Amino acid sequence: MSVSGGLVLASGLMVPGRGLLHAAKEEFEGPLPNIDVGGIIRPPGALPEKEFRAKCVSCGVCVNTCHVMKYDAIAVSGLKDLTNFGTPYIKDMRDFPCALCMECPPLCPTGALKPLQKEKVSMGTALIDFSLCFGWNGDVCLSCSKACPLGATVFDFYNGEWGNQPYINEGCVGCGLCVKYCPIGGSAIKVVTKQKYNNLKDSYKADFKSLISLKSEERYNVVYGQNLPKIMERGRMVEREYR
Amino acid sequence: MFGILILFLLQFVNIKLLVGGLTGSAVLWSLNLIDVFAYIESLVASLDFTKESFIAVLAVSGLYLIFGRAFCGWVCPMDFLYEIIDRVKKPQLSGLQKISAKIPPQTGYIIAAFLLFVSCLIGIPVFSNYASHLTNFFRALTGVVSLILDLPVGKDVVIYSIAVILFLLLFEFFFPRLWCRALCPVGKVYGLFNKVSLLRIGFVEGRQCGECMLCDQTCYMNVKIAMNIDKPALRDSNCIYCGRCSEGCETKSRLIKLKLWR
Repeated sequence: MSVSGGLVLASGLMVPGRGLLHAAKEEFEGPLPNIDVGGIIRPPGALPEKEFRAKCVSCGVCVNTCHVMKYDAIAVSGLKDLTNFGTPYIKDMRDFPCALCMECPPLCPTGALKPLQKEKVSMGTALIDFSLCFGWNGDVCLSCSKACPLGATVFDFYNGEWGNQPYINEGCVGCGLCVKYCPIGGSAIKVVTKQKYNNLKDSYKADFKSLISLKSEERYNVVYGQNLPKIMERGRMVEREYR
Repeated sequence: MFGILILFLLQFVNIKLLVGGLTGSAVLWSLNLIDVFAYIESLVASLDFTKESFIAVLAVSGLYLIFGRAFCGWVCPMDFLYEIIDRVKKPQLSGLQKISAKIPPQTGYIIAAFLLFVSCLIGIPVFSNYASHLTNFFRALTGVVSLILDLPVGKDVVIYSIAVILFLLLFEFFFPRLWCRALCPVGKVYGLFNKVSLLRIGFVEGRQCGECMLCDQTCYMNVKIAMNIDKPALRDSNCIYCGRCSEGCETKSRLIKLKLWR
C-alpha cells in the first residue's frame, strides 16, 4: 500500500465494516516467516482443541456475536482444513485481532467456549520478530504495550542504547491486539498457538538471550547491516487488509 | 418463518435480538438455544456433559414440548423454500415418485443413529458441521450478507453452503418432501416431541366427516388423517402442524382443528 493510500485511510474516507470499500491490500510477508502458527487459533475461552472440535456444532453464534460487537475477529474456517470445516477461528490478527471483550463464551450454546476472565484466556502467545521490531532496532515505539488489553503486564522491557527492547512473557493470552497495532508494514509480531510456543520457546528464548548479550559493534552490524534495510522497505502502516 | 428470519437478519446490523442460526442461537444476548439433534450430536461426539448446553437444549425442548414438531412447519427455512419449489410446475416422473413412496419414514431414525455413531467415532458433530440444512442456510445467509457488510466468512464456505442448500432444493424438485418426510434427522428428533406435545390434531365432537379426503390430499407429510378421525387426537410423528388439513376441512365439515390445550 502506498503512502497516499495510508493518508486516505487516515483521513477517514475508509469506513470500517463497509465491504465494498476494502482497504488496499498490504502485501508484506508476515513476521517470523519460518515459524508457522502451529494450527488454528480459537476464540477466547475455547476448550482444548480436541474437545472443542467435538463440541462445536458450527452454529455461528460466536462469529455473529463478534460481528455484532463490531470486532469481526472470528472467522469461519474453510474447506482447506476439512476436519475443522465450519469452525470458528481468528484468521489474521493483523486485520482483526480479538479485543477480549469476552462476549462470545457465555453465548456459546454448546459449551465449547467457556466463560472466564480475560487474564486466563489462552488463545496463543505473541512472539516478537526481533529483526523487524522498531524497539529492538534503535527506536522508541511502545505501540504493542499500549495496545495490550492486559495493561501490558505481559511486557518486559529491556531499555538500552538500542531502544526500549520489548519482550512478551508467558502471561500473554494471544489476543493479537499488539499484532494489529504494531506500526511496521506486515507487523513485527506473530501469535502462535500455546502448543507451538511450548515446542519452540527454548530456541526463541535462546535467540533473545544471544541478541541481548551481543557486543555493541556486533549489534551495530546486525541492526544497520541486516535489519534496518528490511524495516525501511516495509515502512509504517496505518490500516491493513489481509482478509 | 419470515418473522424469525427477519429477527436473525437484524444481527447483521448489530442488533442484539437474536444472534446465531437455527442450529444454535442466543436470544436477547442472554438465553442460549441449541437444536436438539445438534445437542445430542455434540454430546456423543465429546462424551462430556456441560451445564451451558443442557440449559440451552432444555429451553428448546420446553418450547417443543408445547408445540411438537411445529418447528418444521413454522420455523425451518427449508420448509419455506420448499413451499416455493412446490408451486413450480413439475414434470410428473412416476418412476421417481414410486421410489419416493417406497422409502419409509423410519429411514430418518436410521440416518440419525448412523450420524450419531459416526460423530461418536470420530469426535466431530458430523451432520451439524457439514451437511445440516440449518447450519448451511444461515452460513450462506451470513456469507451473502458479508458481501455487503464485510463479515469474516470465506468464499469457499459460502459456496459450499449455498451448494448444499441448492442440492436440497434440487432434491425437493425431484422427490417432493422426501427430505422432510423420511430423511431429515433434525425433523425426526422433533417428531418424537409430537407424542407428548400439547399441540396436536384434534377433531371436533359431534361433527360429521364429509369424506372428501381433502385432509389427506393436502398433507404433504403423508399423515393419514381421515382414517383416524374416531380417535380423540392424532399424534403422528410426521405431522408438522402446518394447518393445511384444517384449512381443507373448512370446505365441508370443519372437523379437524389444531388443539393446543384441551
